[in-house]
Amino acid sequence: MKANDNPQSTLSPKKPWSDNANPIWLASSVTLIRNIEKYKFPGKLDTDRKKQIISLVSKDLLGLGELFNPILVKGEDIGFLEKEFLVEHFLSTHNLNQAQAGEGFILDASGELLVTLNLRDHIHFQLIDCKGELENTWSRLVKIETNLGKTISYSFSPKFGFLTADPTQCGTGLVVQVYLQLPGLIHNGTIDDMIEKHLDESLMISGIQGSPTEIIGDVIVVQNNYTLGITEENIVSSLRNFTTKILMEESSARAKIFREDSSDFKDKVSRAFGILIHSYQIEAIEALNALSLLKLGAEAKWIKGIDNQQINELFFNCRRAHLLAQFKDKIEQEEITHKRSEYIHKILKDVTLLI
Amino acid sequence: MVDKEIQHDENEEEKLPDRPLECSECKKPVSYIYTEIIGEALTRTGMCADCPELQRRLHGTAQQTDRKFQGEKKTGLACGNCGTTLESLRVGLPIGCSVCYEVFDDVLISEMLTSEKIPPRITTSKKSIPIHIGRAPGESKEMNPSLRLLALNEALNETLKREDYEQAALLRDQIKALTENPEKNPDEGK
Repeated sequence: MKANDNPQSTLSPKKPWSDNANPIWLASSVTLIRNIEKYKFPGKLDTDRKKQIISLVSKDLLGLGELFNPILVKGEDIGFLEKEFLVEHFLSTHNLNQAQAGEGFILDASGELLVTLNLRDHIHFQLIDCKGELENTWSRLVKIETNLGKTISYSFSPKFGFLTADPTQCGTGLVVQVYLQLPGLIHNGTIDDMIEKHLDESLMISGIQGSPTEIIGDVIVVQNNYTLGITEENIVSSLRNFTTKILMEESSARAKIFREDSSDFKDKVSRAFGILIHSYQIEAIEALNALSLLKLGAEAKWIKGIDNQQINELFFNCRRAHLLAQFKDKIEQEEITHKRSEYIHKILKDVTLLI
Repeated sequence: MVDKEIQHDENEEEKLPDRPLECSECKKPVSYIYTEIIGEALTRTGMCADCPELQRRLHGTAQQTDRKFQGEKKTGLACGNCGTTLESLRVGLPIGCSVCYEVFDDVLISEMLTSEKIPPRITTSKKSIPIHIGRAPGESKEMNPSLRLLALNEALNETLKREDYEQAALLRDQIKALTENPEKNPDEGK
């Protein structure tokens, strides 16, 4: 297994979040899940059949006009670090590490599209977006999916809709996720009330690593709970509705914190800054938590020398695979936390605390 | 490394897929984290307490055959096309093929209802009535642009109700930007 090859060699250098200056809505991800008619789902398929599917899908998909210079990457051709890089890049909740022979990815130059082949389902079409463009992203993805559907027949039943390996995803096969960074609501303790107030049973909340209880970097992930018995438009619009309200609540909470010049928040921000600047080694989760407060501090003008865009980029880049991709030399496992500290120090060298 | 090889042998014997099924697929709460280090690759798998895969990896013996027999006494239901058993479905393992949806029809619906994965109104649905609504293969759809406006208006009403005029003004600006120039999408995230 290739362990330390540079992940960026496979991926386009374009990162959708490198010019992402959003204070709250970090990103969204839209996924359509499809299987191909007459083939068993990947869990019951041997490697040869899986390879057939890869060539079948890639032959047609690589020629589609909606994709910009697409490439096919086979599971066995890339190392675990590159797969982890993909997971981080596409905020994936799947364990792409499983991808071996018979599994593959199609990526394109936009850096926004990931098509995974044969990991649990034959095809997962996924687009990420950092501009709060849920509806347009969904439409773009539907175009890709229907165009491929002209040459490939998807597994479908009138009763259960599009059929998926996980029965709780059949029907539309549509999974929409919205990533919201809410330091204001989380640290003023009102987040649970707000979620209860605005969330209905059609949506669910988790943290960035998929755990429903562990919130990392003050980011909550909102996702549709139903894929069956609901239209795609309804899924997208219920996420749009909830997100619009939470954006309003968070910016209202922040405005209050700034207006009151809250000592508690100043303390939190100062401590977070101290951790980022003075740690000798730092774990990703601790760094992400501190970065969220740093972002709040920058917005409050308690900190100068950095803007949202730079903090968002740092937020993505200090996770393991992205961090390692910055270095040409091989980094030992035990050195990573120190390298992360060094990297953060470098980015924050001109940042000063004003309070 | 040795562990890995043992697993491959087993897989062949049992005619399981080449890759061991990952327990992160299962919907039960994770109680163990199984960490595997091969060379420099480190993979972590979350597993639930009564995971058959965990037993297999730890002790190298699959208790699956025993379980299957026990299960068959009670149910015996399996998909004739891919061999997926009712038992494996109940543990939360992925479905094997599209035929499974016909074989396990009622079971799937009741499982989804108990895990609250379909809207509650489906309860009364008869066997022949489709549950799926929306697109079928080959159909394309455009999003109604007014949905975004509706969401903003709802949020605006909320701010006005609590007299938060600062946020209301921000929302009004966004609504204005959308209605005056619907082609151009204003920078959101605020």
